[in-house]
Amino acid sequence: MTEYHTLKELHELSLEQKKEMWEIIQQADMDAGERTAEQSYAKMLEMYRAMKDADARYDGNLRSASKRAGGDGEKLHQYNEAQKNICGPFVGKVMEKAIKMGESNACMRRIVAAPTAGSCGVLPAILLSYAEDYPATEEQMVHALYVAAGIGKVIAENAFIAGAAGGCQAEIGSAGAMAAGALAYLQGGDAECIIHAAALSLKNMLGLACDPVAGLVEVPCIKRNSYGAVNALTSAQMALAGIRSAIAPDDVIDSMRRIGNQMPSCLKETGEGGLAVSESGEKYMN
Amino acid sequence: MDLFDIIGPIMVGPSSSHTAGAVRIGYVAGKLLDEPIKKAEILLYGSFLATGDGHGTRKAIVAGLLGMAPNDYRIADSFSIAKQQGMEISFGSAKLENAHPNTAVIRLRGADDKTLEIQASSIGGSRINIDKIDGIDTNFSGDHPTLIVHNLDQPGHVSEVTSMLAHKGVNIATMQLYRSAKGQKAVMVIECDQPIPQDGLSWLEHVEGVLKVTYFSGI
Repeated sequence: MTEYHTLKELHELSLEQKKEMWEIIQQADMDAGERTAEQSYAKMLEMYRAMKDADARYDGNLRSASKRAGGDGEKLHQYNEAQKNICGPFVGKVMEKAIKMGESNACMRRIVAAPTAGSCGVLPAILLSYAEDYPATEEQMVHALYVAAGIGKVIAENAFIAGAAGGCQAEIGSAGAMAAGALAYLQGGDAECIIHAAALSLKNMLGLACDPVAGLVEVPCIKRNSYGAVNALTSAQMALAGIRSAIAPDDVIDSMRRIGNQMPSCLKETGEGGLAVSESGEKYMN
Repeated sequence: MDLFDIIGPIMVGPSSSHTAGAVRIGYVAGKLLDEPIKKAEILLYGSFLATGDGHGTRKAIVAGLLGMAPNDYRIADSFSIAKQQGMEISFGSAKLENAHPNTAVIRLRGADDKTLEIQASSIGGSRINIDKIDGIDTNFSGDHPTLIVHNLDQPGHVSEVTSMLAHKGVNIATMQLYRSAKGQKAVMVIECDQPIPQDGLSWLEHVEGVLKVTYFSGI
């Protein structure tokens, strides 16, 4: 029976069984649940297609219930179209898709929580941009989703993936680690490269507070999807270049848990600290 | 943790607890009433009350009452759909003590005048707990096929129910027993691993001492 509870175990199982990391993750899912390989794959494909559908259905005219969120994805799109993009075409596209997905979520459209609704833009921004700009099959994209899911599962088991439990580092931080690992995989990184991409990405998000203005999944959540995605790109590129995290990947996750436990509750999705209690934060709904 | 709790669920935003969980609460309430809803009174508590508007919590509960799943595109339009279907809706605040911050109390009246009151909470992710049914404490998730039997507090009713389940090849996941007072009314809430066949439920309804049988096939 295949099972893993740490990134180190994922790495070692890949080496021992001479399999790709996504195969280990899929096998463990089959061994733990009641799904066959076909059912598991079909479900993951459904998630990928739902992400693609959500991206395609973005509507820049929509506004959230607070009337304050919406339209920024369209602004980035116009800027990219105007050839003014100074971040380069791929990064510009990732930023645009991340904001669009975050806004769609705020505007009550259908999204895929990955790992949460508030952080739903990070992973699809990178995967869908990659699928558009690089020669990758849908099957490879589904495999990349398995890699992301396996990393997220390890983080959920050893730390947290909810802002209320561990702050934003647990939401955007986890989403970024998942996305960085998935991108490293797509670019041909081996298991070691994948887990270091995840670690580097998470390390730069440690300590991030969850202080949503008016308690809504809007400020700072939507824009953080873009920052989280770009941070993940940077981390994947470093790992692919051969840079390794000085802190072992599982130690980074443990650190995230410790920081989350030490974080005061006013910074864990209660709306009682940080940006939420700033002067302009308190006026947000007026 | 299931892989598809990490990538997934596919849901309408913005919040797994305040939107997707709220849809599930409404969905379970509607299924438990088991007839078209004529009138719904929705009372919110805690964070549901404070931030419900910005999270679409009210729309989400109504969508669930209409039988929509958390991934239904029509959730944002649930008020107008309820109106078209002649469902009368009112909202208020719930006065509760020691309840989970994301709690709703829903009072329903059906087309055939059946009534139901449930108190339920959204406990994280899109998971929910049904805390009370018609004033009696309960504790179940709605994830499994769930059987709720109201009966007189007499010897033998538990064994009648569990024998029927065994006979139908249904395994019990959890089982809870409650009563209002000794010899008065009792309730059993049984979460199962398999769906319960209709003929088993029909048989149960005719057992002497059984007052009401409610079955929910799971979300």
